[in-house]
Amino acid sequence: MNLLELRRVSHWYRPGEASRPALRDVSLLIAPNEVVAVVGESGCGKTTLGKLVAGLYSPSAGEILFEDQPLRSLQGRNKKHYRRSVQLVHQDPYASLNPAVTIGDTIAPALVHHGLARRHNAGVAAARALGAVGLDATPEFLDRYPHQLSGGQRQRVAIARAVSLEPSLVVADEATSMLDVSVRVAVLDLLLSLKQHRELAYLFISHDFGVVRYFARAGRIIVMLYGVVVEEGPTEQLIANPLHPYTVLLLQSVPVPDPARNEQRRRDQLPLVLGGAPPERGCVFSNRCPFATEVCRTTTPPRVEAGLGHKVRCWSPRAALDAGRSTQLSHST
Amino acid sequence: MIPEGSTRPLLEVTGLTVDFPSGASRVRAVDEVSFEVRANEICALVGESGCGKSTLAHALVGLVPPPGQVVAGQLRLEGETYSSTSPREWRALRGAQVGMVFQAAMSGFNPVATIGRQVEHILKAHPETFPSVAAGRAYFEELLGLVQLPVQRVWGAYEGELSGGMKQRVAIVTALLLKPRVLVLDEPTTALDVLNQRLVIDLLRQLHQRLGLTMIFVTHDLAVVADVADRTLVMYAGRLVESGGTREIFGRGRKHPYVTALIEAVPSVLEDGLSIRAIAGEVPNLAHLPPGCRFAPRCLMAEALCSEVEPALQCDASGHAVACHVVNRVDWRVST
Repeated sequence: MNLLELRRVSHWYRPGEASRPALRDVSLLIAPNEVVAVVGESGCGKTTLGKLVAGLYSPSAGEILFEDQPLRSLQGRNKKHYRRSVQLVHQDPYASLNPAVTIGDTIAPALVHHGLARRHNAGVAAARALGAVGLDATPEFLDRYPHQLSGGQRQRVAIARAVSLEPSLVVADEATSMLDVSVRVAVLDLLLSLKQHRELAYLFISHDFGVVRYFARAGRIIVMLYGVVVEEGPTEQLIANPLHPYTVLLLQSVPVPDPARNEQRRRDQLPLVLGGAPPERGCVFSNRCPFATEVCRTTTPPRVEAGLGHKVRCWSPRAALDAGRSTQLSHST
Repeated sequence: MIPEGSTRPLLEVTGLTVDFPSGASRVRAVDEVSFEVRANEICALVGESGCGKSTLAHALVGLVPPPGQVVAGQLRLEGETYSSTSPREWRALRGAQVGMVFQAAMSGFNPVATIGRQVEHILKAHPETFPSVAAGRAYFEELLGLVQLPVQRVWGAYEGELSGGMKQRVAIVTALLLKPRVLVLDEPTTALDVLNQRLVIDLLRQLHQRLGLTMIFVTHDLAVVADVADRTLVMYAGRLVESGGTREIFGRGRKHPYVTALIEAVPSVLEDGLSIRAIAGEVPNLAHLPPGCRFAPRCLMAEALCSEVEPALQCDASGHAVACHVVNRVDWRVST
C-alpha cells in the first residue's frame, strides 16, 4: 500500500489566469516509514507541495491519494482519519504556536477531538506527549505560554503537537532552519527516533543540502525548480552522482564548515545565475544552465531513468555528472 | 592582544559591557568583550541566539536598543576613542566611519519612498562625503554595478518591487555609500536561500577585494563563517570564549570544548553525518547564568573548578585567545 501518492499534480494560486503554476505535473510516492526530502531555492514550490500533501489546499489539477483513496472523495470518518494521520510542523515556532494559549491547551484539544484522550485526562495525555519529545512535562510546564520557552523548546512543542496524534506522515517544512546550531541536530535526531519508534514517514522540506543529507540519509531526495521535479533519487546516490546541472549548482553552493575545502570547491563552481521568471518553453533551468543547447530552450526534457530510482529531467545529464565530479562532490571523507 | 611587529588594529574593542534592565535586576547581554580588527580583515562574530553577538554589533555603531545600555568599555577607531560621543556626534560618525547592514535590512527600507529618494536623503544628511548629490548618486551607481544591479532597476523602485536577494544587495550598497572604514553586517545571509546566500557572500568577497573593505560579519551559521572569514570570534552567553584564525578555529588549532562541539554539530553536505553530534542541553538564560564557566553544565570536559570560577580569556603568542580552565592549564590541543 502506498501511504501517499501524487498523480500529475499541478497547482495555481490564481486559477483562470495565465500565471505560471506553483507546481507543474508533479508525481510522487511516499511509502510508509519512508523519508522523502524536498530541496530547492525559494519559490521552487516545495512549501506548496507540503501544503497540498497536508490538505491545506486542493490541487488545481491531478490527484492526491492517501492510503490509495483520493483526497477529494474522503468524507466523514475517512476524512478525519486522514486529518489525524498527516501532520504539519512549520518552520517558525514563534509563529506556529498561539501566544495566548498555554502549552497544555496547545496539545490537549486535538487529542480529545481525535479520541486519543478523554477530556478529564487530557492533561496527562498532553504531558505524556511532551515527555516523548524530551520536554520536562511538569504541570507548571503545561501552564506556561510560548513566550516563556526557548526556540528549541517551542519547536519541540510543535513536534509534540504533531506526533501526539499518532500520524503516519509528518510534513516538516524547514522545521529546523530557525533553530540554533547546538539544538538543531538534537531536534533532527528526535524526529529520526520518532520515525523508528512510531513507523512515521516524513516529507522533509529544506533548502539546506547539508541538513537534508543528514536527515534523509536512508531516504530519497527530490530536487525542485519552478514547480517542476528536475531530479529525484536515493540520498547518497543523488549527492554522489548528481545528474541535473541545477542539483550540482545547489550542492556546490552550500558552504561546509571547513575553510580549506570551501576555497578549493569555489574554484570549480558552476557560474551562479539567479533567475527571475522561468523560461516560457523548454527546460525550466535552460535560461540559467551553463550547458543549455537549442533543444533545452525549445523542448521540455523527458524524465530519464538512471537506475535505482534515480530519475532526471535533463537533455544532457552527463555534463552535470562531470561538473559534479570536478568539485569532488562524490568524495566523502 | 596583538603580537609585536604586526600592524596597528583598525578597530579596538576593550571591555565592552552592555546591560539590559530586567525587573529589579539587570541582564548582562555582553560581558567585558575585548577584540581587535585589523584593516582589510573579514572578521566573523559567531554564536547562538542570546550570546550577545547582535547586541555587540549594535554597540559598535552606538545603536544598542533601549533600555539596553553600554555600561563599560571603549571603542577605538585607528587609535581614537569613539565610544563616548554624543548622539549628534554618533550621527556624523555612523555610516561614514562605521557602517552597518542590519539583520532587518530586508525590510529596513521605507516602503513608501523609492530607493532613490532614500539614497538622496542619506547624501543630503552627510554633505561632507561628496561634493554634490549627483556625485554621490554616481558612486551609488558604481557600487550597484559591482553587485550586478542596473541603477534603472533600483533607483525608482519601491522596496516591495525588489526580490529578497536584490534587497539585501541594495542594503549592502547603501551601507557602503558613505565609504565607511568598517562595515558591520548583522546576519546578512540568514533569511536567504542557499543560492542567494552564495550571491551575497561572493559579493562581499568581491567588495572586500575591490574596495579593501574591513568587515565584521555577525552570524550563527558556521559554514558561512568557514567560507568568508579571515578571523573568527566565538561568543557564548555574553562572553567571548575563543578567537583566532578561521583555519585554526575550524582545524586542529581550535581549543575551546564549546567551539569543538559547535562545529561538530554542523551537518555537512560532504559528509555522511555519522560524526555529527548534538550538544546536550540548551544555551543558558542570561538572567540565570550558571556559576563559573557558562558552558560548564553542557561541557564534557568540565572539572570541579569550572563550575566555581569563571575562566579568563588567555592569549598565546600567535594571537589565538581562549577562555577555558582545562585548555589553558595544559594547553591541550583538542584533536579533531
